[in-house]
Amino acid sequence: MKISRRDFVRTVALGGAGLVVGFNGRGIFAADAAKQFAPNGWVKIDIDGAVTLTIGKSEMGQGVRTSLAMILAEELEANWSRIKLVQASPSPVFDDLGTGGSDSVRDGWRSLRKAGAAAREMLAAAAAARWKVDRGSCAASNGAIVHTASGRRFEYGALVADAAKLSVPNNPPLKNARDYKIVGRRTPRIDGRDIVSGKAHYGIDTKIPGMLYASLERPPWIGAKQKRMEEEKAKNVRGVRNVMKTSRGIAVVADNTWATIKGRTALAVDWGEPPPDAFDSEAHFKRLELASRERGFITRKEEPPPGTAAVARTIEATYHYPFYAHAPVETMNCVADVRENRCTIWAPTQAPNRLQKQVADLLGITLDKVDVNVTLIGGGFGRRLGVDYALEAAEISRAAKVPVQLLWSRQDDMKHGHFQAASVHYLSAGFDAQGAPVAWKHTKAGSFHNISALDPKEVRDIAWYQDWSWGAYDVPYAIPAIETAYVTVDLPVKHGPWRAVFAPSSVFAREVFFDEMAHARNADPLAFRLDLLKGADIVKAGRVTIDRRRLRRVLEVVREKSGWGAPVPKGHGRGVACNAYFGHTYIAYVVDLRVNGDGHAHIERVVAAVDCGIVVNPIGVEQQIEGGIIWGISSALGGEITFRGGAAQQGSYADVAVARMRDTPAIETHIIPSNGTEPFGMGEPPVPPIVPAITNAIFAATGKRIRRLPIHPEDLA
Amino acid sequence: MAELRLTVNGAPRTLEVDDDTPLLWILRDQLGLTGTKFGCGVGVCGACTILENGKALRACQLPASEIAGRSFTTIEGLSPDVSHPCQRAWMEEEVPQCGYCQAGMIMTACGLLNEHPDPNDHLIDTVMSDSVCRCGTYPRIRKAIYRAAAEIREKKSSSP
Repeated sequence: MKISRRDFVRTVALGGAGLVVGFNGRGIFAADAAKQFAPNGWVKIDIDGAVTLTIGKSEMGQGVRTSLAMILAEELEANWSRIKLVQASPSPVFDDLGTGGSDSVRDGWRSLRKAGAAAREMLAAAAAARWKVDRGSCAASNGAIVHTASGRRFEYGALVADAAKLSVPNNPPLKNARDYKIVGRRTPRIDGRDIVSGKAHYGIDTKIPGMLYASLERPPWIGAKQKRMEEEKAKNVRGVRNVMKTSRGIAVVADNTWATIKGRTALAVDWGEPPPDAFDSEAHFKRLELASRERGFITRKEEPPPGTAAVARTIEATYHYPFYAHAPVETMNCVADVRENRCTIWAPTQAPNRLQKQVADLLGITLDKVDVNVTLIGGGFGRRLGVDYALEAAEISRAAKVPVQLLWSRQDDMKHGHFQAASVHYLSAGFDAQGAPVAWKHTKAGSFHNISALDPKEVRDIAWYQDWSWGAYDVPYAIPAIETAYVTVDLPVKHGPWRAVFAPSSVFAREVFFDEMAHARNADPLAFRLDLLKGADIVKAGRVTIDRRRLRRVLEVVREKSGWGAPVPKGHGRGVACNAYFGHTYIAYVVDLRVNGDGHAHIERVVAAVDCGIVVNPIGVEQQIEGGIIWGISSALGGEITFRGGAAQQGSYADVAVARMRDTPAIETHIIPSNGTEPFGMGEPPVPPIVPAITNAIFAATGKRIRRLPIHPEDLA
Repeated sequence: MAELRLTVNGAPRTLEVDDDTPLLWILRDQLGLTGTKFGCGVGVCGACTILENGKALRACQLPASEIAGRSFTTIEGLSPDVSHPCQRAWMEEEVPQCGYCQAGMIMTACGLLNEHPDPNDHLIDTVMSDSVCRCGTYPRIRKAIYRAAAEIREKKSSSP
């Protein structure tokens, strides 16, 4: 077998044990050049016919283990019941593991189909050779190659030894979409049975021999110094082994979790008083408000074509978007086993390679000395792109000289989050004398993520700023003059990606303001959107290409399915919003709600239309729509984090009101059949348009315009 | 530190624990029954819900001093073969996303159905709103509860 650098995939004979196909998203992969590439998966077929797929994406509820396996199984013509999954760990081969940006299925679509097809073609060629027939007379189906004319068949397992000796096809034929048997089929989650029987293994469930347990008391504000603590009292708690200072706080190490909790309480660390200039979110909002009136960095500028009418009337509004916590139910945790010159980590992480690198740097050892095991994640939402909890655990294990499990309390999780950063948005619109919109301005005052240091050498050009302002600069509407801008405001608390990252605040401001524009000229908000999505079908903004036909289509579907325009009872209202997420996934919502006399908004129904390109698993798409809506409801009705004295004031689900069953509307999801050629992400896109649809419905119900989140009953009473 | 005897999933257990140790940590750290999850430690999220005589309880709120001689069922003991109507309904309705809260949700739903075999939306809202799911699986949990309720009633009416 000759492997060329041009081979897309390669085969490896594992002592005759099976056929292994490696692949990567960039298309070339050869044995002697593995380090140059970043494979995101491996396919292995054993002689007993089992198909093992190594998944390079972290499962945190988005169903990625199932959908990636479906893509592979489709082209491989695998027997679905014989698929096994193993989770990838960072290594020279897997040097770019990371889950975020709603790109897992899109990435997998490119690489997994080719890998599956290449393996299928090799198996078919092996069978044809054994039968001495044409490849064309053989078909792959359900884990076997069948000779169509004679009905003879070989299971895949019987063919792998022969197949592994064949050269790898560079461009294996891919199946036609109309022949799909698995992609597009409602497919139950691979991990479902383990989940409902309590067998699914999350980070917190890790237990290794000799492991102790740890809890860490962290400085409540940046720069806080511990003044006093009751170290002896903590050590006297039964089960507490040690109290140790680390660079990140004071650790209590004990025989079991309960002893760490009691020991930390007994420790009663006194941090003194925060300085008067410690971070305060109310003061921060004042800075953001002022900043939103500055010119800022212009992220998009569309000059009005000659002949555009002059502005005769202007409206403007300012929107406030607060801090939010991720608050996944599984708190941050990590098991670290630091030995001399070696470390093993078990962590629920979205960023395995970053974690490996930072732990290696912390311990002063090389990457190959840090093994990272990625567990199932009990809710990610972007929080676990940060690796702080793994660094803490590694430091404690190093000091304690034993493996430890560090578990954050709920309070730790709420107060030491990587919060969604607050922002303030100033929008203005100009109408001509006939009432047609001719000018649009959107200035976002916000803050760059600081969970890891920004590269000072990075060029801060327009593309860079656009990356911080999705949902603002990519306004899809056809308005002759557009100016969007970003103003940076320093934010000295940890903040980072939160489900849908920068889009929720910008899309909230944009879609509410658009509603205000419609009402300013007595237009129906849905019809007004459709009107301003006419003109060029394709518009470009920075790296984003928006297909207005797809956005119009989702709006038309929710108009029809929601009964838009039909009268609603008094106190009820109906609102609409839409978004093209990065030009990939298009979603529109119509929300029906009622506002009670006490000012509580009760969301009764959400009609959703989504175009995410090719649908791999309809169940997954529906689940993400439902989950994104409920995530948005949490942020509309509560969930705000405020800071005083440099610290978050909320510490539990009792003070952070996340959505519950009683807040849940009826949800109807309409998936638009796509003639596209690839699938797009669904983890984040359902979030941004739901909150403006809710607040627009509140306006329809009450005439009260919500420009500051979350909604407080006193705003509506 | 005292000797504690209790029954978990039908098996008698004898342990040495401090009186104030919550059952949650006894299950997880000492008995290795990690299906019962930690979420808040103060009884407001429902992730650690278990059953005692069919009644749903929060394991984080049950100190060792109060559980001697009692008998509890965790998600691992709900059925030998994942055949409990709630487990089946949870799979049929494709409830789980990340799945972390679902053991608690299933046990809470079992408690609800034991008390109210024919629940309505109001009851489901009331009982299930004490539990948190950040993935937002609530619409499917509602459907799964109705499905499980129907199966349980059907079994009862067809058995002699």
